[in-house]
Amino acid sequence: MGMSLSRLTEKTNIWPWLLLAPLGIYMLVFFVVPLADVAIMSVTDPRVSLANYQKVLTGALYQRVFINTFLTAAFVTLCCLAVGYPLAYLMAHSKPRTAMLILLLVTMSFWTSFLVRTYSWMVLLGNNGPLIAFLQMMGIEQLPQLLFTRFSSTLAMVHILAPYMIMNIFSVMKKIDPALIRSAESLGAKGWSLFRHVYLPLTAPGIANGSVLVFVICLGFYVTPVLLGSPREQMIAGLIGHQIDEFLAFGLGSAMAMVLLFVTLIILTIYHRRFGLDKLWG
Amino acid sequence: MTSYLELSKITKTYGNFTALDNVSLSVEKGEFVTFLGPSGSGKTTTLMIIAGFEKASGGAVQVGGRSITELAPHERNIGIVFQNYALFPHKTAVENVYFPLQMRGVGRDQGLRQAEDMLSLVGLKGFGHRHPKELSGGQQQRVALARALVFEPSLLLLDEPLGALDKNLREQMQIEIKRIQRSLGVTTIFVTHDQSEAMSMSDRIVVFEKGRIEQCAAPLDIYHRPQTSFVAAFIGESNLIPATIGSAAGKTAENPTLGAFDYAASDNVLSDGQAVTLLIRPEHIKLSRNPIEGRQNIRMTVETIVNYGDNALVIGRAGDIPMRVRVLGADVVIIREGQECCISWTPESVFVITK
Amino acid sequence: MNTFMRWAGILVVIFIAAPLVIVVPMSFSSANSLQFPPPGYWFGYYRAYFTNPDWLIPTWNSVIIATATTILTMVLVVPATFALVRHKFRGKSAADVMMLMPLAVPHIVMAVGYYSYFGDLGLVHSHLGVILAHTCLSVPIAFLVLSANLKGFDRNLERAAQSLGASPTRTFIHITLPILRPGLIISALFAFVQSFDETVVAIFISGRDAATLPRKMFDSIRQEADPVIAVISTLLFLLVMVGIAAPYFASALRSRAPKPSRPPAGAH
Repeated sequence: MGMSLSRLTEKTNIWPWLLLAPLGIYMLVFFVVPLADVAIMSVTDPRVSLANYQKVLTGALYQRVFINTFLTAAFVTLCCLAVGYPLAYLMAHSKPRTAMLILLLVTMSFWTSFLVRTYSWMVLLGNNGPLIAFLQMMGIEQLPQLLFTRFSSTLAMVHILAPYMIMNIFSVMKKIDPALIRSAESLGAKGWSLFRHVYLPLTAPGIANGSVLVFVICLGFYVTPVLLGSPREQMIAGLIGHQIDEFLAFGLGSAMAMVLLFVTLIILTIYHRRFGLDKLWG
Repeated sequence: MTSYLELSKITKTYGNFTALDNVSLSVEKGEFVTFLGPSGSGKTTTLMIIAGFEKASGGAVQVGGRSITELAPHERNIGIVFQNYALFPHKTAVENVYFPLQMRGVGRDQGLRQAEDMLSLVGLKGFGHRHPKELSGGQQQRVALARALVFEPSLLLLDEPLGALDKNLREQMQIEIKRIQRSLGVTTIFVTHDQSEAMSMSDRIVVFEKGRIEQCAAPLDIYHRPQTSFVAAFIGESNLIPATIGSAAGKTAENPTLGAFDYAASDNVLSDGQAVTLLIRPEHIKLSRNPIEGRQNIRMTVETIVNYGDNALVIGRAGDIPMRVRVLGADVVIIREGQECCISWTPESVFVITK
Repeated sequence: MNTFMRWAGILVVIFIAAPLVIVVPMSFSSANSLQFPPPGYWFGYYRAYFTNPDWLIPTWNSVIIATATTILTMVLVVPATFALVRHKFRGKSAADVMMLMPLAVPHIVMAVGYYSYFGDLGLVHSHLGVILAHTCLSVPIAFLVLSANLKGFDRNLERAAQSLGASPTRTFIHITLPILRPGLIISALFAFVQSFDETVVAIFISGRDAATLPRKMFDSIRQEADPVIAVISTLLFLLVMVGIAAPYFASALRSRAPKPSRPPAGAH
């Protein structure tokens, strides 16, 4: 255990608590209390009842938004996987120089504010943007509305969240011992069966990590769906914001927030039981 | 009159587990003492208690007649070389060596000069400006040694410092450490699980097992006169034969299958019928086709021959007792695996162990 | 399989890179709407950004808030991380999970909470309110980075220092802190970026007076899509490039294998 400092600790065991106390108190006052406030508002605003939850869980509008949010999150996760897996593969199996350049690109995308990336998609998909111009050039008469649709918000979310998936899968892929693949080949596995029975199971932890992360972030995504999505096909976070901002319906907004939090925590708890939360963000 | 370093009745317990059980030891000034034992035997724990990083559950440590039991590590003035050297990565070699002087308030100019001198002593003149990661394993080892010695510690502790080095470098460093230790006359405790290291370097060896000191003696005594069968088996190769004393006066012992053994001496008072273990070192046994006159002979069936070039190890069975014989490379041609042969020794080669 | 993966990978590279680079020409555009490719190029929007207080004040607010958040986060997290990594005590694993909780809660949920709670405390529309909220969100990120560094710290270095005569305090100052410095810097940087980029909580509680840059950008994109956003995007992108490329080149000079770092994810 070393250090006379920690020897003191073994005896009195007060040191870790002293070191933790400031943060603990802070988190209590500025994290737990506001969160509890949401929980309390959800059953007290405008009066003490479960009416908000009844409305949120049975109202057609809210049900539709919840289902929409779920489906969108699942679809975005799948897209991120479809986009991320090949790229991670390319990174793990190309020359170090190429791999580093791609990694640099992914890292850069990761660090670029998602507002910036959302804005970029507005430009790309806008009515005066290159995509529409390209379609015009191809002679397509009836130009589709790209911006402010489910398509534009989904595309931007995939772009914004793909780096999480790529990083997670890549970090697993690069740790795979090439000898393992060679020995599988020597045992007769090749092509699809090699991928299906050897490579895919080996990369499964990365896929699980990336998918949980992308799905959970997407569930609570506010900015991009609000800016790029169709106002008629809101996601849950957008609707919560709407209730608070426009109608000052704190009770209703809080109830929705609690449902969102509950679902998120359930997913993360299942993950935590199996893998440990610290690995998810590590 | 107490010795320079005095450990008295040190115990260390973790919950129900007893890591050290009543360890007492005296070390004279300038001595080079090695703690030898398998991992988990308590040797490192003892070292950590001397250094002050572990607190003993009971007992006392004295250096130079002064109790240091209650002192914090930094007040003990003890130099330590760790297994991984623990060189500060953000400091150059000479800054590493200067660090203890800096902590003692020595000015930078004078301190750095002293540190340079120390580096010269360990053979690293001109390497002072390098960072640890720019040095080889052996060089890092020397810096660690210089750092642990520069402030003239009252005690030098070496915690398996050679473990990370390859064989050639290890032998070179054994000689080097010994030379430096002699030239400075610093009292040294060396922890290792490598018996050849212990044999070649130490004035005395302390053998640890299960939190106790099994034996504390000069290397050759440890080898030739082990006090317990653990020490006999742990140090070198050994043939250990269970026996009972036939006649203490006639200096004979009996094994039910192999018969009577004559022995020359024992360190203990023996009584007739006492259960003992007989130690015969493999290199003291001669291998021949026929019995040799004037030696005690028994027959052995050869099972395996392991060749080392200059010598060979012959493993076989005498009755139900496994035997190992060390023979010179040239002699091994006389037998083959599966053959029966004669092994023989003199009573002087038989050592009686009572524990 | 292999060639398929390769081509798919190349397409993905384009997909990821295109939106990153497109803002650069946009920022020099002479058009007053989102037109790409731009009809002409000029520096007008750069001038607009650097002279318009509507943009400069939020930028300044963001810098102040992120700096204060970083300091507060580090002051709270450093001792706590030492406690959690170096000590064993009852309730430690629960405390570990608690540290990560703010990452698990969607920001919109926290935003609702802060909006109401800080309203009661009179902290909405103030720098302090945003700083207090952002610190909560930065804590887990700083903790993850720092604890990974601290776990890899060789305790023998501290033992060595003490055996060489350094008291626990001096050991901390001369050995622990300098060796931990890169970890501390990265952890602080992550806290800063988290605060500087955070949008959702800022939208709800920063108000006009303490409006952060992301909040201003959000409003602007939502309302008129002011091309100045392209300028800010380019500048932010440039900052990221410098931030990521600099360690690359620095480590390339020292010929060590570089590893780009990534911040742990928050819920946007």
